[in-house]
Amino acid sequence: MIIFEDVSKTFPNGFAAVKRLSLHVKEGETLVLLGTSGSGKTTTMKMVNRLLDPTEGSIQIYGADIMKQDPIALRRKIGYAIQDIGLFPHMTVAENIGVVPNLLSWSQDRIRSRIDELLGIVGLSPEEYRDRYPSQLSGGQRQRIGVARALAADPPVILMDEPFGALDPITREQLQNEFLDLESEIKKTILFVTHDIFEAVKMADRIALLHHGQLQQVATPSELVESPANAFVDDFLGRHRFQLSLLTKTLQSLVGDTWTGPHPFKDPTGPTLSPRASVIDALDLFKITRSSRIGVRHREKIIGYIEKPQLHDIIHELLNDERAPS
Amino acid sequence: MNLISACIDKLGQDILQGTIQHIQLTFFAMGIATLIALPLGIYLTRCPWKGVVSAIMGITSVIQTIPSLALMAFIVLIFSVFSLPTIGTLPALVALVLYALLPILRNTYTGISQVDPTVIEVATGMGMKPLQVLFLVELPLSLPVIMAGVQISTVWTIGVATLCGLIGAGGLGDLIIKGLRSFQMDYVLAGTVPAAAMAILFDWILGRIETWLVPEGLRIDPSKTQEVTSCP
Repeated sequence: MIIFEDVSKTFPNGFAAVKRLSLHVKEGETLVLLGTSGSGKTTTMKMVNRLLDPTEGSIQIYGADIMKQDPIALRRKIGYAIQDIGLFPHMTVAENIGVVPNLLSWSQDRIRSRIDELLGIVGLSPEEYRDRYPSQLSGGQRQRIGVARALAADPPVILMDEPFGALDPITREQLQNEFLDLESEIKKTILFVTHDIFEAVKMADRIALLHHGQLQQVATPSELVESPANAFVDDFLGRHRFQLSLLTKTLQSLVGDTWTGPHPFKDPTGPTLSPRASVIDALDLFKITRSSRIGVRHREKIIGYIEKPQLHDIIHELLNDERAPS
Repeated sequence: MNLISACIDKLGQDILQGTIQHIQLTFFAMGIATLIALPLGIYLTRCPWKGVVSAIMGITSVIQTIPSLALMAFIVLIFSVFSLPTIGTLPALVALVLYALLPILRNTYTGISQVDPTVIEVATGMGMKPLQVLFLVELPLSLPVIMAGVQISTVWTIGVATLCGLIGAGGLGDLIIKGLRSFQMDYVLAGTVPAAAMAILFDWILGRIETWLVPEGLRIDPSKTQEVTSCP
């Protein structure tokens, strides 16, 4: 889908932001570029829509070299969302969302119905929010508009640069969850930049960890946490390792084996979580509800159950793992 | 009251004519100055040579420091060297335009420069062409600052235009100079009051135009500050 081949970017002042990066982003996956500031993650992203051009190497989207394409046309096919300051303050919510469709000369009717559709998707009532200005919205609402705007022209690829970075922790988590739900519906190829390992673990199908412009490891969140490729990755996980292990264990991985039949359970009572929820979410819910089991629900169907003792076992296992190497 | 009506009876025709000339001078000077300063200001924000930017800004600032009376005198003298008309509308207009340039130029430049680079990058990243970025994002966002420049310029120009009477370009300055030469207060007032009223009126009208032009989304945010430039 997106292929980075031996890509380097050296700025005119001699700073090498990205060094010989090779990376393959698969169709439909969310790949998180993770790293500290100065790691080259944003530079890597900006080379995809040619806000920056690589000094060496090539980038292909759908097999076509992006350097051989018109940057304007290329960018209109790529959704782009950044922190909430990226909304145009002089445009209404509707105008902001309609920017790319307008650039693509869609008919006004089509743009209008697309705007209403997208506002519905991000959970804001079109009648109420269509004509508001960004300054009249809360941070979370602005960010929802930012996501809607990136989706406006239904691009196959979406770039997101710390899209939830400016939000308070509670709103951020809420938006992350909403975005995960949304993403499972729309199936886009998403390149997501963040410096927050917890966000990375939560959002990613795979994580690419960068440091000083060099790729350290590309792996699924649980692989990254379970088997760090080198000392830097290990350091990066730091003292959050135990928490991250719990976070990267999804309920899907726990019930995946137990549920085999084609007919889902039908039991609307009792607490439920989505299959992408982590063991930590399950622990929380056990504590709040004092229930002895939690249903794992995909859309409106229960696909399995988690029992309390299962969680005890997992934690025991992890504790033993943690002790072993040191 | 009698005094005023007597004054209007005596000078009404002169006041009317002077006011019309004054408005014409102001209008053309502002029109020409805007046509020069706005594109020039936009160009300067895109100019890769910082030296050119500071040179042009410097020159306009220096023009601004010359007392308006002296500027008139210089232009008349320079015009005489090139055997251009030294009396009438042309030298007056040139002086007024030079004077009106700076606030518009400086506010256009600073207004566009202060647009958040992230917003411009997003606009570019979404696939806007450079001119679309300018017209859809940069100009609307800097409009309050640019309009403030136009407003300041207009008020200055109305004031400076009274000096145009000195070089025979007419306007309300004519009445003031006549009054000064013949020690007649009513003449001086007949020139001054309409000029002051005009400045207040134009300032108000431009304020209305600004409110009407500036995108609603920017008006909501009261923290948006405008460039403040002091009067000469």
